[in-house]
Amino acid sequence: MNDEMRASLDHCVKCTVCEAHCPVAAVTPLFPGPKYVGPQGERFRESGTSVDISLDYCSGCGICTHVCPQDVKIAEINAQARHEMKSRKGISVRDRLISRPMVTGRLSAPVAPIANAVLRNGLARRALSATLRIHRKAPLPASARMTLRRWLRGRTQAPAKRGTIVYFHGCAANFYEVETGRMTIEVLEHLGYRVLTPKQGCCGLPLQSNGLFDDARQHVHSLVSALDGAGHGLPIVASSTSCGLMLKREAHEILGMEDATLASVGARTFDICEFLLDLHDHGELPLDLAPIEMTIPYHAPCQLRGHGIGTPAVELMKLIPGVTVVESNAACCGVAGTYGLKREKYDIAMAVGAPLFNMVRDMHPPLAVCDSETCRWQIATATGVETVHPIALIHRAYGLS
Amino acid sequence: MSDVVVVGAGLAGLTAAIRLARAGRAVTLLSAGVGGLQLSQGTVDLLGYTPDRVHHPLDAIDRTADADHAHPYHHLRADGVRHAVEWFAEVLGPGELVGSLQTNVHLPTAVGALRPTALMPPSMAAGDLRDGANVAIIGLRRLKDLYPDLIADNLSRTDLPSGGRVNARGVHVDFVVRDGESDSSGLVTARALDDSSTLLRFADAMARELTDDDHVVGVPAVLGLVDTQTVWSTLQTRLGRPVFEIPLPPPSVPGIRMNASLTAHAKAAGVRFVMGGRVVGATREGTRITGLQTDTAGRLRLTRSPWIVFAPGGFESGAIDVDSYGAIREPVFDLPLAHVPSDPVVSADYWADHPLFRTGVAVDHSMRPVDPTGAAVLDNLVVAGGLIAGATRWREKSGEGIAIATAVRAADTIIEDGS
Repeated sequence: MNDEMRASLDHCVKCTVCEAHCPVAAVTPLFPGPKYVGPQGERFRESGTSVDISLDYCSGCGICTHVCPQDVKIAEINAQARHEMKSRKGISVRDRLISRPMVTGRLSAPVAPIANAVLRNGLARRALSATLRIHRKAPLPASARMTLRRWLRGRTQAPAKRGTIVYFHGCAANFYEVETGRMTIEVLEHLGYRVLTPKQGCCGLPLQSNGLFDDARQHVHSLVSALDGAGHGLPIVASSTSCGLMLKREAHEILGMEDATLASVGARTFDICEFLLDLHDHGELPLDLAPIEMTIPYHAPCQLRGHGIGTPAVELMKLIPGVTVVESNAACCGVAGTYGLKREKYDIAMAVGAPLFNMVRDMHPPLAVCDSETCRWQIATATGVETVHPIALIHRAYGLS
Repeated sequence: MSDVVVVGAGLAGLTAAIRLARAGRAVTLLSAGVGGLQLSQGTVDLLGYTPDRVHHPLDAIDRTADADHAHPYHHLRADGVRHAVEWFAEVLGPGELVGSLQTNVHLPTAVGALRPTALMPPSMAAGDLRDGANVAIIGLRRLKDLYPDLIADNLSRTDLPSGGRVNARGVHVDFVVRDGESDSSGLVTARALDDSSTLLRFADAMARELTDDDHVVGVPAVLGLVDTQTVWSTLQTRLGRPVFEIPLPPPSVPGIRMNASLTAHAKAAGVRFVMGGRVVGATREGTRITGLQTDTAGRLRLTRSPWIVFAPGGFESGAIDVDSYGAIREPVFDLPLAHVPSDPVVSADYWADHPLFRTGVAVDHSMRPVDPTGAAVLDNLVVAGGLIAGATRWREKSGEGIAIATAVRAADTIIEDGS
């Protein structure tokens, strides 16, 4: 257990704010709440032994830490305890597989149409459910025919007018949602930046949330040296809000990594919407945005809240004439990365997300917007409404699509 | 850039943010986490003890203002409190807050004491009991935060402030909130009762235990999280007699409701919420604060603003630091503190007056922080709520009155500044 995190539990005054905001405890008695398994349970864990397995039902969304008025690192304490518990019990094949998006991405990208057809096939999904215990209705992303890195190979960069940025695209924008990566690069280039995209791997977040800490640390090491190697001291922009948070906070706070390069990279990492809104706050964001007449439901994902930067996407979208943003004010979409894919957790995840899904469905919108990829897939699968990253609207308002 | 940054998401911070946003100011609210309001019992206490039980709070506020120039109410007086709290009650509306500023009511607590307060949710109002009333206090066997026999026994042997006594009895109901759960919190129960079929099952379980002699029914404050008005009135209709809620220890459902309601009003007025980064420092030019540093993921972020409302709460919220040598300071701006106790900072007698609770920032009539000579130390920062020195809020039952009235005064200082 990371001493810095564990020490924070002495700040717990048992106020129960975290219990009141936990989206999982709200829908199932299987999880007794973050205070119960966290600051309370932790006192009874000797060398990491968990006193009860309800810990496994924590989705790791991080809302408890976010809402805590006393700065107790509840989610971090629970993530570390879950790692200890899973290390003892053994980690299933399923959890080892779904925590490696690079592996699944690399395997399926060359055969994307076949892989996607298989994932859409009810029989195949039943087989996946029976063998690997991945729920047959869980939102698994479709593979792109052309990865972002292949797309990058075939293009020339616009000359820089304004400075150089390193883009951290992550696995999702490379293998599954290439358009998010493409649009992020095109918006940054439209603003005059030279965008460097060093060869990069997974941030290790899914490994971390499935308890595979050693593997996760290796991924963080490789990633931060790749991002840092692109140009020391350059700002790094991420379009995946959860992967960006891994570099800013979680690798240190959950994986316990004390690494100078990580600290430097984390301090220079910006979520794309945070970066653009900072430009706007300094009067440096061009406001020649074309109108988009649209009322859009927006969901702020849990991992965005962990940045402590508010909801910059809302402020940005409000700059576009004609756009009305309706915030979901919902706690969580339920999926929490890979939690909602698991057969035994799927119903809980869907119950967690139900208020959000109802709100989106009731609006009959042309689009929904959310910063985090796994949440977008969850919302889109549950509601049938196309769900995009906020950059898609900025891209369009700048006349780039 | 915002016109105003409010620091703190408790009652004072939310009130100031709504007041400013409704006056057309662009407001950003920074908070480390969710504010303390949701731990409260959902009432508005103006002044309950001085130290005798207070029956007419506005009169008592003016007496306090005259007698104690270091008390926060000295700057507000009854007029300032009434002006602010009447506006606040309008924000929430009579569906969420009823009562009178002139006269306190005395509501049963979870241990059966009678607590003086001014305004309360309609679902608590019938707890203002009258001589000779037969009161049934219902406890849920699976909810460990309310013991009906303890409440009933204490109520029955208490002289009512209005004169006379009640006859109270404890009633136990075994209500299954969720299958497989034998220990359901008040919050879990409240969420379940927002569902109409669960509510009817709940009402029927209670009706079976009541007799025609029970005039009034007290229940734990679990009557819905979202639509308490409907849940409470449905239950009253089904039971055919007045029903009142008794607030529980946290998670306090009435506090959660009020926090949710004020947060929704603030958002509707355009307040931008940035939660999850504690404000740890500031940049300044002379006597002006130019920016606030928040400890966010990865780095400190600077938020610039022409005006700041500082409402971080008191010692209990971590807004006043006490180190192991007994040194006391306000850690963000290093504001001058008043009523700093000499060693020791707390008394050995638990129930005594602990001087530390009066420690805080002294302010002038505009809510600007002042030094010991009474001179304002900063031009563009005003203070609201529990950080202000001079009151032992929990003992005198003045917390909400001070929070709301200082927040409105602080907001009005900014609004009247006009720049």
